[in-house]
Amino acid sequence: MTLHHYLILAAVLFTIGLIGAFTRRNAIVVLFSIEIMLNAANLNFIAFWRYSDNPELLYGILFTLFAIAVAAAEVAVGLALVIAVYRHFRSIDLEVMDTLKEE
Amino acid sequence: MNGEIAFWILSAIAVLGALVAVRKRNLVHGVFALLVFFAGLSGLFLLLLAEFIAAVQVLVYIGAVGILLLFAIMLTERVAGDDGRRMTSRGWFWGLLAATAIFLVLLLPPIQQWPAPEAAQTVEPSVEQLGHKLMNPYVITLEVLALLLTAALIGAVTAAQAVRLDKEDEPPV
Repeated sequence: MTLHHYLILAAVLFTIGLIGAFTRRNAIVVLFSIEIMLNAANLNFIAFWRYSDNPELLYGILFTLFAIAVAAAEVAVGLALVIAVYRHFRSIDLEVMDTLKEE
Repeated sequence: MNGEIAFWILSAIAVLGALVAVRKRNLVHGVFALLVFFAGLSGLFLLLLAEFIAAVQVLVYIGAVGILLLFAIMLTERVAGDDGRRMTSRGWFWGLLAATAIFLVLLLPPIQQWPAPEAAQTVEPSVEQLGHKLMNPYVITLEVLALLLTAALIGAVTAAQAVRLDKEDEPPV
């Protein structure tokens, strides 16, 4: 396996997440599409670390570790916001949330 | 050779899991497909000899994030998801177009230098060095991360809390 296999796989996964975030109207589905994109980026970090000249510096691993922690915080806050929005609009449909739009 | 077969199987699992998660109408089924995607990705991390990240992936994503998503689904919409209604947003075509364009841009760097670098030298198990690194040069980052997680915890609780509507009969503070 070469580095490019992993890069192309990560690009495919990132695009699947992007399609989900762009085309679905359910807030929770959009949230987990974002998770798919974050994971694709993590795969890139790990692949670059594995194929780098000096992997003993562990840059890729450390960055991925911090990225996973930040992503966990993001999911917790994001889902709390989804629940707050659901309380307000009685729906998690993203097209219902158009309060800021000028009619 | 074995690594190659494992790569293809794991990447098929990850791609299929992600596709089903994004396209499934039933949200709970979608979350389970997402867990399959996380598991496939964890296997890929193992294949890349990042065993600690693979373990963290299982713990944080399959364990915590999966449960959290399931709870959020059960607290909001009907579990069966938005059946009957339109699944895609109004501008879905432009979204698809933009995603395809971004995909092509992401493919540029691998195409531009096609003779790809082959598998590097073997990496020795890194968990012990990782622990040392987290304690010696990266301890500030670790502390900031702990602060961030605490802030996220407080923020999540505050945001998800029910808004009290009977504020009128309380004295203003």
